[in-house]
Amino acid sequence: MDDDLTREFLIESQEGLDRMERCLTDLEEKPQDAGLIGEIFRAVHTIKGTTGFLGFKRLETLAHAGENLLGLLREGKLAANRPLITGLLELLDGLRSILKSVETKASEGDGDDAVLISHLEALRLPAQVEAKEPVCVQAGAASASAPPPAKRKSAATKKRSATPPPVAPAPVAPAPALAPPAEPAPSAAPVAEAPVDAESEAARPHVQTAAESTLRVDVAVLNRMMNLVGELVLTRNQVLQATAADPNMTMLSRRLDMVTADLRESVMQARMQPVSNIFGKIPRIVRDLSQTLGRRVRLQVEGQDTELDKSLLEAIKDPITHAVRNSLDHGIEPPEARQAAGKNPEGILKLRAAQEGSHVIIEVCDDGAGIDVDKVRQKAIERGTVTARRVMQLSEREQLQLIFVPGLSTSDVVTNVSGRGVGMDVVRTNVEKIGGKVEIDSHVGKGTTLRMRIPLTLAIIPALIVRSMNQSFALPQGALSELVHIPVSQAATAIEWIENVPLFRLRGKLLPLVFLDRLLTPEAERKDASERDSFIAVMDADGRRFGLVVDGLADPEEIVVKPLSAVLKDIGLYSGATVLGNADLALILDPGAIAMKAGVTLCEQEAARAAEDVVEAARSREYLLVEVAGHQAAVPLNDVLRIEQLPLRRIEYIGFRPVLNFQGQLLPVDDSGGVLDAAAPDPEAKMIVVVCREGNRQVGIAVSHVLDVAAGGELFEAGSAQLTSGVTLLNDQVTGVVDLGGVARLAAGEQAPAEWSQMGETVA
Amino acid sequence: MSTATVAVRRKEKAEAVMVEMCSVRLGQTLFGVPITHILEIVGAARPQPVPLAPAFVGGLVHYRGDVLTTVSLRRLLGLPPREGPQDILVLESAGGCFGLLVDSVGEVLTVSSADHEPNPSLLDERRKALFAGAYKLSDSLLVMLDPEKLDPMRLSAALA
Repeated sequence: MDDDLTREFLIESQEGLDRMERCLTDLEEKPQDAGLIGEIFRAVHTIKGTTGFLGFKRLETLAHAGENLLGLLREGKLAANRPLITGLLELLDGLRSILKSVETKASEGDGDDAVLISHLEALRLPAQVEAKEPVCVQAGAASASAPPPAKRKSAATKKRSATPPPVAPAPVAPAPALAPPAEPAPSAAPVAEAPVDAESEAARPHVQTAAESTLRVDVAVLNRMMNLVGELVLTRNQVLQATAADPNMTMLSRRLDMVTADLRESVMQARMQPVSNIFGKIPRIVRDLSQTLGRRVRLQVEGQDTELDKSLLEAIKDPITHAVRNSLDHGIEPPEARQAAGKNPEGILKLRAAQEGSHVIIEVCDDGAGIDVDKVRQKAIERGTVTARRVMQLSEREQLQLIFVPGLSTSDVVTNVSGRGVGMDVVRTNVEKIGGKVEIDSHVGKGTTLRMRIPLTLAIIPALIVRSMNQSFALPQGALSELVHIPVSQAATAIEWIENVPLFRLRGKLLPLVFLDRLLTPEAERKDASERDSFIAVMDADGRRFGLVVDGLADPEEIVVKPLSAVLKDIGLYSGATVLGNADLALILDPGAIAMKAGVTLCEQEAARAAEDVVEAARSREYLLVEVAGHQAAVPLNDVLRIEQLPLRRIEYIGFRPVLNFQGQLLPVDDSGGVLDAAAPDPEAKMIVVVCREGNRQVGIAVSHVLDVAAGGELFEAGSAQLTSGVTLLNDQVTGVVDLGGVARLAAGEQAPAEWSQMGETVA
Repeated sequence: MSTATVAVRRKEKAEAVMVEMCSVRLGQTLFGVPITHILEIVGAARPQPVPLAPAFVGGLVHYRGDVLTTVSLRRLLGLPPREGPQDILVLESAGGCFGLLVDSVGEVLTVSSADHEPNPSLLDERRKALFAGAYKLSDSLLVMLDPEKLDPMRLSAALA
């Protein structure tokens, strides 16, 4: 038996049952509360789901019976009356006693739950419930003076401990069997409790209970620790500054520095966990489920080491499990069906985790049958979730999202695995509870992708600090694709307008611009943008591309995201705040929300992908246009590593070959244009070397100026329709392409000292 | 005051309770906040403004590793903004902590509930909602603020 898995399951189930108990007692006061019923249903559903693959048959059977009953209750076909709640409390106690047995004896025990199950079955029939009413009225009357739920609960608990197989000594019909648990049995309880306790006491030395071997720390305590460590870091920074001049303090402050850094790291580590903690459990589930369901499934896992805050990780565990179950049950078809459809009989289930900006994206992706939108729509209308007219106004994609509505399942059969329409509901509830978003994407016959976007509330993200309105803002690096500087001299012409919409030509394409200051202070008077320097941060927020215009750029920084109070969260543009290294505060901008607020539309995914391909293709034919001693020449942009401006005296010669000692390595410099010779009289003159990649070596090309980046057109030789090499059409001019391969190697045997040529070899 | 009248008064207000109030100055008015609600007083702070926030939000301050939303009492009362740093009372309410921006924080005064009077009916509605009556001091009035009602969540709900 997988000990870790079982222990986790025990802790979780116990928490679930505690919650269920609270809800049940509340339900007695508010029998109409659908939220409470939903919560109870989920608790039982989760237990059933987990027990199934852990192989606890007895628990599963019992939970399944309970779930059937709760399903009717949730659909409003049964009323939450006393006998029903009593029955559910018995179910709770039954589950608890089995769990206890699992914890102490590592087995479910050999009790028989038939009576309890048949009782739960009986409760599903309204007629029988009425027949039992008198018994329960009596029970209610007996406990009328005391708060009823508590009393019944304690009675039931005692009953449970008295007889490990719950409600076992009730051989007759379900109705009479009901009566005993409702009646307090004080005489029997003390006697009966003793042996149970003794037994678990005896078991303890051998089997460490789940509660002892793991220490569960309240997340609030960890939060507080994290905040205090942050505070300590800032104080340390001040201490370091204050003591920098004092040599006596150097040792002490260095030590403080180190200890603080270590402490900070460990507190952070205490909170962060790789998603493999969850993903690691999936293979087992997939294996067992595919056996039960007769599927052939290959599991692919990506981004296991993506880290997420513990509390968030905990919250997405259920949704991921549910999504996997759904994929196996409804997504991936049986092997025969797959073969018939011309697919590989082995289905692929892909789990992917990746950090994207201030979010972690988790995808559960299958190549199964997909979801039939028509079916979802029909079901939704049948269930009265939406009206037929409303549904027609929704896009196909939006209609698909109806699957997250509680009680909507497209499965025609309720199986043990899924199909009750509860899974997707749980997925959405849990993900939204932590401020995440969940989306489903499906194509019939091709497969389904469930995408969860989980915020990194407490995580540390790389961000670029930008300045606007004399304030600092943090821009998550993940959504940032490039930066463009617009000097004041070009400001008037670089930004073009269609009516009141500002646009920028980025490599020939128009990019909508959003001015951060205008967006944040719409009513304020401000100077015209053309009177100052500005920067365009080109953002890509979930397929929305736009340029964010800011006044200035500061340093990139790793920032700790601090949550904002609800009032400020409601503004919708900030995903948090952070304390910068200089102790200033900065608001963290949410690029997606900015795009939405400014009205930047979402490119369709396909369109975006197509555009990406075009960009990719164009990039491969893009050239850096340079001027070499009066002529234009082109260098393939893909091969350019960097452009260095340096004084001429840095160029050294091996014989007649110019070389550059570049970052400790020797770089052969091509000077076919004679740029170096022309500049030779003045050793302080600045010259430009374009550092390029050529095969597995690097070469430098001496140029006079770097002019532009341009897309090259293909040229065909007249008559032969053969592609010319070595020239390209740039800005409608035939331009020679620098032959990087032609730059001679620094071969051994040149007129150079031995060690030099050796160095040259290593470069080559 | 003769000993006789003191005795009479004591008898009248037998259930009078002494309350400790932190006095706070804003313009010409002296306000009081029960010290039981105050977590800490942060002096001379310069909150970071939050564009697009509701008008009463005075900005964000860094407080013990957290980012604290502050409520500007001046803005709340529609008074002109004040140049220079302001003091912050860190208050605890049901919705969590928040800061209250005031001109300056004064001494802690012990007042008797016997000297408390409810809000005058002439007060405008907004102030009526924020003030919880006043204590009569020997030389001035101490207007009591209800920390619960200053909670940013409640303020935004009330203004919505």
